[in-house]
Amino acid sequence: MNGNDSEFGRIQQRFAIAGAAALLLCLAGAFFQPAQFFRSYLLSFVFWTGIGIGCMAILMLHHLVGGNWGFGIRRCLEAAAGNFPLMAVLFLPVLIGLLKFDLYSWSDWKAADHPYLNKPFFIVRSAIYFAAWITLAHFLEKWSVEQDRTADPALTSRLQNLSGPGLLIYGLTVTYMSVDWVMSLEPEWFSTIYGMIFMVTEAVAAMAFVTVMVMLLADRPPLAGFVTPLLLNDYGNLLFTFTMLWAYLSFSQYLIIWSGNLQDEIPWYMVRANGGWAWVALFLLIFHFFVPFLLLLSRFMKRKIRVLGAIALGLVLVSFVDLFWLLTPAFEKAGPQFHWMDWVAALGIGCLWLAGFVSRLKSRPLMPLHDPRCEVVLEHGA
Amino acid sequence: MASPGKEKPEVVFDHGVPVLAPGHSYGSVTDKISAIVLTRGTRRGWWIGLAISLFFLMLFNLSAGYLLAKGVGIWGIKIPVAWGFAIVNFVWWIGIGHAGTLISAFLLLMRQRWRTSINRFAEAMTIFAVICAAQFPLFHMGRPWLFYWLIPYPDTMGTWPQFRSPLVWDVFAVSTYATVSVLFWFVGLIPDLATLRDRARHWFAKRAYGVLAMGWRGSAMHWKRYEMASLLLAGLATPLVVSVHTVVSFDFTIAIVPGWHSTIFPPYFVAGAIYSGFAMVLTLAIPLRHYYHLEDFVTSRHLDNMAKMLLATGLIVAYGYMMETFMAFYGGNQYDKFMMLNRMTGPYAPVYWALIACNIAIPLTLLWSARIRRNVKALFVLSLIVQTGMWLERFIIVVTSLHRDFVPSAWGMYYPTKWDLAFFTGTIGLFFTLFYLFIRYLPMISIFEMRELVHKTEEATV
Repeated sequence: MNGNDSEFGRIQQRFAIAGAAALLLCLAGAFFQPAQFFRSYLLSFVFWTGIGIGCMAILMLHHLVGGNWGFGIRRCLEAAAGNFPLMAVLFLPVLIGLLKFDLYSWSDWKAADHPYLNKPFFIVRSAIYFAAWITLAHFLEKWSVEQDRTADPALTSRLQNLSGPGLLIYGLTVTYMSVDWVMSLEPEWFSTIYGMIFMVTEAVAAMAFVTVMVMLLADRPPLAGFVTPLLLNDYGNLLFTFTMLWAYLSFSQYLIIWSGNLQDEIPWYMVRANGGWAWVALFLLIFHFFVPFLLLLSRFMKRKIRVLGAIALGLVLVSFVDLFWLLTPAFEKAGPQFHWMDWVAALGIGCLWLAGFVSRLKSRPLMPLHDPRCEVVLEHGA
Repeated sequence: MASPGKEKPEVVFDHGVPVLAPGHSYGSVTDKISAIVLTRGTRRGWWIGLAISLFFLMLFNLSAGYLLAKGVGIWGIKIPVAWGFAIVNFVWWIGIGHAGTLISAFLLLMRQRWRTSINRFAEAMTIFAVICAAQFPLFHMGRPWLFYWLIPYPDTMGTWPQFRSPLVWDVFAVSTYATVSVLFWFVGLIPDLATLRDRARHWFAKRAYGVLAMGWRGSAMHWKRYEMASLLLAGLATPLVVSVHTVVSFDFTIAIVPGWHSTIFPPYFVAGAIYSGFAMVLTLAIPLRHYYHLEDFVTSRHLDNMAKMLLATGLIVAYGYMMETFMAFYGGNQYDKFMMLNRMTGPYAPVYWALIACNIAIPLTLLWSARIRRNVKALFVLSLIVQTGMWLERFIIVVTSLHRDFVPSAWGMYYPTKWDLAFFTGTIGLFFTLFYLFIRYLPMISIFEMRELVHKTEEATV
């Protein structure tokens, strides 16, 4: 459809094969170390689902507020958000971990013990999250494709009207998802800002991911004429904003819990800021904040596509380390073990995810053709 | 007055609606805005408004004077609620200021052109709100003339402020904020002051505006430097939108009191500040555009955009309430749970439910409707409701968290006295006195930025 069919088809196939192979390897590992398998799997699953969620949020944000920047990445955002059905299938191992392997330490709690943390309600909530994301992504994609075909400007306002409530649903589902899937691994700990930190973590990963995609796709029409240094500057600024927001929220949580030093809260940081985890925390401080902050301050860096792409790629990887630091200390209190399954599972789920992503990307033009706002942009030469 | 509800046909998206009504030229914009200051003279409505404001300013002087004579005992504060109206009003006022900075700095960086006609008086609002806010901690100290002890300097007593206290961070945050806001406002005024200097007829007005314009001639070099300065100041001011209310939220969260010690507070305080601030901008903008016939400049697009900002920030505030309530029950800490139940069913329950009505139930349902957002009267009423709600929120946070904390034997009630009320309404008088003087003697809309907009509007309508 966009002239890249055969090439994208090949890439998709390779990703699918690599993903399946990596997951099979993990499955073999699961045979020997089932507990480790579920931990590694959960980490990777949350990471890749998070990129999809972040992409959907940025997509809806753009529908709502407009601006040149969104048209260059719209198709990547839609393709990423379209992966939720796949992720719903890949959620099954997490459920098996919950039901059979005590992945969550609260898994033997009854509804009477804790009306929120118990198996039936957890499953119901997870089903609701996936239903909400799949529905939202479906309509966001459907109407956008329809506009490519019919050039009906009314679809733009329809997408806009969906995105307002859509962002509300996104905020609620991501918050409770983060509590359910990750925070409740340590069920005695809680923090009211956690959901927001999670949203921003995902947004950083998502924005960095689509920036990398822009770098890879920039030579192809119609993107080739559209990606200008000014547009890249906007992407750089968005990355800059998200990393700053990440630092702001993370620091707020740290300062408040550290100064309070309460028995309920401080153990979470005792684990994460001591022993081997302290080095991971320091790594995050430097590479999730100071380095991207300083690099993205410069216009020169933001306007060179290779440089910006490299920074973005770095941020995708650092986002994974960030999630690793948030999630894995629940199991490995003494320090990170860097188990091979952590990485292989990430690769496996990631390759399957990318295969789904590429399959949707190949079937459509790389830019929305008939969004009235976009036509204005093209006429005025950006 | 034009009825903004009807003037606009259904459009796909509001980028087509002009931020300046068509048909204006450079001259007509300059005439219309500068005439309010220079030629139209003082109107009766202005005198009446100023007189009422002055009355409340006198009330402020009276209650401040009595406070200095008698001490803070005339207020309702005592143990366990040692922080009553003073901190409630401080947070309320400082929050209101935030919208001005957001509009002038953040929206400038975001290239949002619609900010042009509202930024000047929003910035003025910021400065006046900070002045009002400052009165409360100053007088709450009991000996306001010793306030400089909060500033670190090597004195003969060998004392330093307690740097681990967020109250000291407050001093730095708020004084930086006040300085940058005043600088930003004044720098933005210079080209307009020069316009007034050139147009004024009275010798005194000529001299006064002339001195303030600091020799502005409008040369290319002047403009170049001006653009650079305002961009740098915007860059400086933008983090302040976040940092000031974050530090204010630390005043609470650094303590371990249930209801204060909550990690969501920093972003939720910032959102709440912008929420109340945009409400105040609407409260001021709607009568101003009506009485001074500025509907061409402050169009329904502005009101609609501001209403959307209200909706967005209000939703973040609602999110904060939701997380606090959820975590109180999820976390299983008995004090957190009790704090939440006490808010909902305890002696201050009516205040809590009024807050929920004013901040969440009424505005966040109505503002989804485009019809309401373009209805001037409805927006005006909503803006007052939101400000009331945000004031009640601070009351609930401050009072209900303190009045019943850990040990029932230490519980107590807090009631404001008539002096609390007099001092608070007095600062409202102070605010409006300053504001009335501002709209009479300075251009309340940026003239030169509107002239830039004329150019853009012509481009769009041709």
